[in-house]
Amino acid sequence: MPQFIRIDMGTKTVKTEACPEQYAGLAGRGLTSIFVADEVKPTCHPLGKYNKLIFAPGFLTGTSAANSGRLSCGAKSPLTGGIKESNTGGTFGQKMAKMDIKAIVFEGLPTEDKYYVVKVTMDGVTIEEAPAETIGMGNYEAIKVLQAKYGPKVGVAIIGPAGEMRLTGANISFADPQSNIRSAGRGGLGAVMGSKKIKAVIIDDTGAKGVTIAHPEAFKGASKRFTNALTTHPVTGQGLPKYGTNVLVNILNEAGGLPTKNFREGRNAWANNIGGETMAATIEARGGKTTHGCHAGCIIRCSQHYHDKEGKYLTSGFEYETVWALGANGCIDDLDAIAYADREFDDVGVDSIETAVAVNVAQEAGIIPWGDAKAMLDLILEIRKGTPLGRIVGSGAAAVGQMYGVTRVPVVKNQSIPAYDPRAVKGVGLTYATTPMGADHTAGYAVATNILKVGGFVDPLGKEGQVELSRNLQIATAAVDSTGMCLFIAFAILDIADGFNALVEMINAKYDLALTGDDVVALGKTILKAERGFNQRAGFTNAHDRLPEFFEEKCAPHGVTWDFTDAEIDEVFNF
Amino acid sequence: MSETIELRAFMGLTDVFRQRGWDNPTTIDVPGETSGPKLLALLELPREAVEVVFVNGKAASPEAAVVRGGDRVALAPPGVPGPYRVLLGFRKMG
Repeated sequence: MPQFIRIDMGTKTVKTEACPEQYAGLAGRGLTSIFVADEVKPTCHPLGKYNKLIFAPGFLTGTSAANSGRLSCGAKSPLTGGIKESNTGGTFGQKMAKMDIKAIVFEGLPTEDKYYVVKVTMDGVTIEEAPAETIGMGNYEAIKVLQAKYGPKVGVAIIGPAGEMRLTGANISFADPQSNIRSAGRGGLGAVMGSKKIKAVIIDDTGAKGVTIAHPEAFKGASKRFTNALTTHPVTGQGLPKYGTNVLVNILNEAGGLPTKNFREGRNAWANNIGGETMAATIEARGGKTTHGCHAGCIIRCSQHYHDKEGKYLTSGFEYETVWALGANGCIDDLDAIAYADREFDDVGVDSIETAVAVNVAQEAGIIPWGDAKAMLDLILEIRKGTPLGRIVGSGAAAVGQMYGVTRVPVVKNQSIPAYDPRAVKGVGLTYATTPMGADHTAGYAVATNILKVGGFVDPLGKEGQVELSRNLQIATAAVDSTGMCLFIAFAILDIADGFNALVEMINAKYDLALTGDDVVALGKTILKAERGFNQRAGFTNAHDRLPEFFEEKCAPHGVTWDFTDAEIDEVFNF
Repeated sequence: MSETIELRAFMGLTDVFRQRGWDNPTTIDVPGETSGPKLLALLELPREAVEVVFVNGKAASPEAAVVRGGDRVALAPPGVPGPYRVLLGFRKMG
């Protein structure tokens, strides 16, 4: 029977129970979001005693299925004030699943000024004072300290100095198989963990029996078909492994959707210098790795090891959105400087999208010049120092805009808009506007042909078909986020329908179920409605589903504007 | 009459350009209005090497693409992640 663990950080008590019936058929985002909607007071202060932080692996996390290593983290977001699910790779989720732990919930607040380490083993849960040297320490070093103390293979979830300061841009970092860093980045969940005075959660699966599969042969067969779909597809077999997600810089630049100089234009002249092709050539020349998996069993391997000029490891998980924000939107034509920034984001423990866009707003405010790499790095280092300016930048784009009287602030529900201009890629603009998560490109990501029935080509510059496209992508994504699968599997499933069928069959084989594709769609809708319901009870209305007014300006090279009416936007969630 | 286009290559096609000693971007002459298949033939690129031809920032299948002098053209091979292939109009749905 799967365990449901509740840890009260106020009383330091632990309750381990069988999974409550209402959560038994859920996992991943489905579980975290429905749990938060059920148990968290929507009007609570996100850093107060009523908020709860939940970790939940997906349906297939910990199995032998390819790319099934994801963990969902949920709470009320201190950044958006709404519901949040943020998911991550690393080793933590697979260990939870192998220990048959359905969820770990952190509740309550300590009154004393101490940080704790929560340790989860097969013998139970203990709460002990965090090693003093880890307080204020960067995540790379702190993970080493903790793995030296608790074991080199333990899973680690940790907050950096930003989480200790409870900054709304703070993330939760997770050790990957090489003890580098993956992150549940968006929405400030690191601040929630910091408010509960949890420096780190350690998980040791020694003695765990591993996941049980109801029908092993059926699972094996479906898993093989699923793997075949991923390895034979050009996106997951060739594109992502070599170029990472940064493959998108040149593509979006060509399409006129690469926001440049704080969304003033959709194309720039230096994109190729910061794009995936240049990045791959640089990595190869310096002896790094163009391909790397963020969790055991990943066969897409979109991550990389980016080395500095001396050939020393600098960063991994060096994503398109981070490169875009600093390189294109901040006009910093210097991939090495962006890589140093990416490392610092991971080390201090902030979301690399939110904080990089906060830097853009700081450029807009005149705090630092456009295109100045040194000034950008110096500004980011202020976060670690805890200076007033550092805390503002570490609190995200909207905070910088508010403090400096800037109106050109690209956020929805206080969360920064990532790397795709909503005027030139209108479908993603509708997702930014309407997702309960605040502006989030990954909220509308999963494409499966048997879910998506839009019909015909969708012109990215036009309005036709975009409402249905955004709606269907969001429904499919909510479902895939519950599987424990990396969302990037959807990059391939689009073209190989059997890949999606195999995914559903793996879930059925593991749990002895008979789900169909329609059930998966229904699950996606249920999750989205629960999330939107929470936000409504927290005070959100349709008026919050709007893009900033500067998107009424024309965007070069296509001269397009954000031209959806309120009524059209509101149709996205009419299902 | 020949006309000039500006041509870019992305992902694995950048290696092809490099192996051929071409700049990226490069300029090439086309014989007036040229269809996508004729362009690929001119470049000696097989159809399967190109999923989409961008003409002045708008994506089209090679079969639907038409280039003219003065155009900015880019070639994307298979490998662009799925959601973007839908959102940027590469992929017909339904």
